[in-house]
Amino acid sequence: MNLFQTVYNGSNVALNAAEGLLKQAIKEKGKDHNVAFPDTAYSLPIIYAATGLKMATLADLEGAIGVVKSLIVEEPRLEPALNAGLATAVSAEIIEAIKYALNDAPYEAPCVGHISDATIRALGVPLVTGDIPGVAVVLGKCPDSETAGKVIKDYQSKGLLTFLVGEVIDQAIEANVKMGLELRVIPLGYDVTSVIHVVSVAIRASLIFGGVEPGNLEEHLAYTKKRVPAFVNAFGPLSELVVSAGAGAIALGFPVITDQIVTEVPTLLLTQKDFDKIPATSLEARNIKIKVTEIDIPVGFAAAFEGERVRKDN
Amino acid sequence: MSEEKMVSLNTIDDQLIKKAADEGIETMWDRKKAMKAPCGFGEKGVCCRICGMGPCRVSPVAGKGAQKGICGATADTIVARNFARMVAAGTASHSDHARDIAHVLHMASRDGNYQVQDEKKLIALAQEWEVPTEGRDIYDVAHEVAEIALNEFGKPFGTLRFPDRAPAPRRKIWEELNIMPRAIDREIATIMHSTHMGCTSDAESLLRLSMRTSLANGWGGSMLGTELSDIVFGTSTPRMTEANLGVLEEKQVNILLHGHDPCLSEMIVAAAQDPEMIKLTEEVGAEGINLAGMCCTGNEVTMRHGVKIAGTFYQQELAVLTGAIEAVIVDVQCIFPSLAPITDCYHTKFITTSPKAKITGATHIEFNEEKALESAKVIVREAIENYKNRKQDKVFIPQSKAQAITGYSNEAVIKQLDRVVNSNIDPQGTVKPLADVIKAGVLRGAAGIVGCNNIKTKHEYSHIEIMKKLIANDVIVVTTGCAAQAAAKAGLLSKDAIKLAGKGLQAVCELVDIPPVIHLGSCVDNTRIIRLVSAVSEHLGVDNSDLPVVGVAPEWMSEKAVAIGTYVVSSGIDVFLGITPPVTGSPEFVDLLTNKIEDMTGAKFFIDENPLTLADKILERIEEKRTKLEARLAKEIDYGVIKPEEEVEETKELA
Repeated sequence: MNLFQTVYNGSNVALNAAEGLLKQAIKEKGKDHNVAFPDTAYSLPIIYAATGLKMATLADLEGAIGVVKSLIVEEPRLEPALNAGLATAVSAEIIEAIKYALNDAPYEAPCVGHISDATIRALGVPLVTGDIPGVAVVLGKCPDSETAGKVIKDYQSKGLLTFLVGEVIDQAIEANVKMGLELRVIPLGYDVTSVIHVVSVAIRASLIFGGVEPGNLEEHLAYTKKRVPAFVNAFGPLSELVVSAGAGAIALGFPVITDQIVTEVPTLLLTQKDFDKIPATSLEARNIKIKVTEIDIPVGFAAAFEGERVRKDN
Repeated sequence: MSEEKMVSLNTIDDQLIKKAADEGIETMWDRKKAMKAPCGFGEKGVCCRICGMGPCRVSPVAGKGAQKGICGATADTIVARNFARMVAAGTASHSDHARDIAHVLHMASRDGNYQVQDEKKLIALAQEWEVPTEGRDIYDVAHEVAEIALNEFGKPFGTLRFPDRAPAPRRKIWEELNIMPRAIDREIATIMHSTHMGCTSDAESLLRLSMRTSLANGWGGSMLGTELSDIVFGTSTPRMTEANLGVLEEKQVNILLHGHDPCLSEMIVAAAQDPEMIKLTEEVGAEGINLAGMCCTGNEVTMRHGVKIAGTFYQQELAVLTGAIEAVIVDVQCIFPSLAPITDCYHTKFITTSPKAKITGATHIEFNEEKALESAKVIVREAIENYKNRKQDKVFIPQSKAQAITGYSNEAVIKQLDRVVNSNIDPQGTVKPLADVIKAGVLRGAAGIVGCNNIKTKHEYSHIEIMKKLIANDVIVVTTGCAAQAAAKAGLLSKDAIKLAGKGLQAVCELVDIPPVIHLGSCVDNTRIIRLVSAVSEHLGVDNSDLPVVGVAPEWMSEKAVAIGTYVVSSGIDVFLGITPPVTGSPEFVDLLTNKIEDMTGAKFFIDENPLTLADKILERIEEKRTKLEARLAKEIDYGVIKPEEEVEETKELA
């Protein structure tokens, strides 16, 4: 299967899932049932950014399905493939919105699901100043918990903000990774579609900090590519759906680094089988340079001075 | 006049043609008109004049009119022989060019005019040829390498060395077809022999001989030309230049460098920077020396020095018509003899320099390679001293030029590719990034667009239309020769042209920091293309004929183009011709070229004089090859994607 066809298949899987779930939800709750994420002024942020339209009811989501369909044009070219990736993002947002529509608290600890505007605003400043040098999205399943812990703790030690999706959450817990917003490790959810809550963060950054008009999708993508230093680590066997979601990440400007053999695309879709090198590979792919702190002190300060002997004369 | 308005894409050309008409000067368009309808027999390739019994002409229609020549040769034989001789002439031109460069390498010395500029490349070639390099003087190595190179032209035994560079499956095909080239001159001589009266009379055999001779060009003469030029004159790196007749300067001494051989043009470039020459320029009241290149010598000097490009093959007369050129300095190949009478109408000196290409009416100043710089200075001095003779009332420099980036040798291309290599995954210095984007489909394929200009078609229209269509469809274009200069003039060699590319090619251009159309050099530098393609094939573990890669000669004209097209097809790459070669008198030979040859080489010729439909055919063929390649690579790679059954379960879970 060629890469683009894999993406299209994945996009159709997502579309069918969204459509099926929506039908079921309408059957249960009726078309006028409300749809909203908690604590956001941007409705369904991805759909809002892409179309300028706010989704209020399940009936509105039927319209959003049309948007997804229009984004899936199965031609063997990069542009439609990236669009199909975005279609998957929209499908995922529809699925996640329905979860919130059907259930008051679809996510429970340790998963956080949707992230509030207030949190994004709080993250804005450290992102701009480079205090948070990058955003890692770790998705899937590592070979073992120890590996997962090592990768995540590496990002944590470098000050990156890490989002977890899938079984890697349990692996992180097992590896004793401390989580929470202050600790910059945020488990989103177990379903692949919950990755949309980090896409939503990037898109709202464009709406809030970038001041990009809702509906101007191209500008939003340009903003995320330029301003949001995110990347994706997709571990374990990749479903077509995950590959398709990866195309969505690439459309936003976020490289995807995986431990699986895939058809690589330089700087955008890379295979790194050596988990010890995953962080370095990812940071280089997203061009993230870790800010080194210089402490203003009158003597030299570096690891090189460790173990230095201080003699009596000094 | 309406016909003249259609001559090219450039309105400035029309203005200059009008100037020619006003001043009563004859140009190629006038001669084309005087020619009236071309002879149908020659056009179809069924006219033979290789012996004293002829000329014979046979009917291109089976069963009607004369079916055989006096000797009994059929249309198939006559067409195939004529074609083979075109291949031989093209191969001879490229190879003799390369021979001169090999001689120059042989005479290179540490304090001489010719030196080894790229030691790394020399040492790599020496190692390839098993010449000892350890602890030796680089010039001793150079001389030994040069001698081996010179022996490639006429060695009595064995086969050529460079075909070893081709992917293994390709070499196997050549061996099985018995077309592995032996010595370069030998193949040319064999063609001349076999096409003699009463020798080979079998179209397929003649085609195979043509293929072998063409390989002696692509994987022999031309490849030597490129390789040794890089060693002696330096391997080019990306640089900015400008193109079109607007590069001529009103207040400078304009020297047009036209021809092919960098042994001359490199020395002219050096001479033009000589303090003595600069002083002389001041004395005659000019503000400087403005070198402007044309044709392949123009490509050579723009690749290595950023010398501006005055124009393509068809503009050689138009350049003189500006009245602003002090000297047209030429060596060999593609030089209109009409430059003699045209330059006579102006102060312009038409200076021939090679004993291989003397032209009646031109000033012949023989270029002496033993005293190269001195010799070049004599020639440049002629030009400078001629500045005062310029007739100001006859000067018309069209104000049109475009920015371009040139200088992409394969080494430079790979260096650009290194920009996108993740240092934690892959080593630098490979074609993997290119192979990856082709494999993934981000680039649908690659096209080498090469060749000449031809009066049978609107100049540069086909080059540019095809390039634009291909880049818009995510096919990266590499270009050489006059096609490259057409691209330069149209602005396609600038990074601004990225906006004309499809999203996939755009992404690649932005990441790699290249224009969508890449200038790889002169016509011998087509060997850079076959090497680049071969490198990608080897990386993917396939043959050239498996890749979605094509060669295109939209406006070809010369016998060199015929030889190039033939070696490209023989190398496993489809060739698309925008001008019909003189073969249509033999349906059998046309079938060989456009059909049967595919069974032999995995590639074939496509002929279509409409550039728009030709471009469609290119894209169609690229997709056809992609489908097969993807199926083949998919078998070899697991892709890490879950099988469809598992996917269904996952979907259920989602819903």
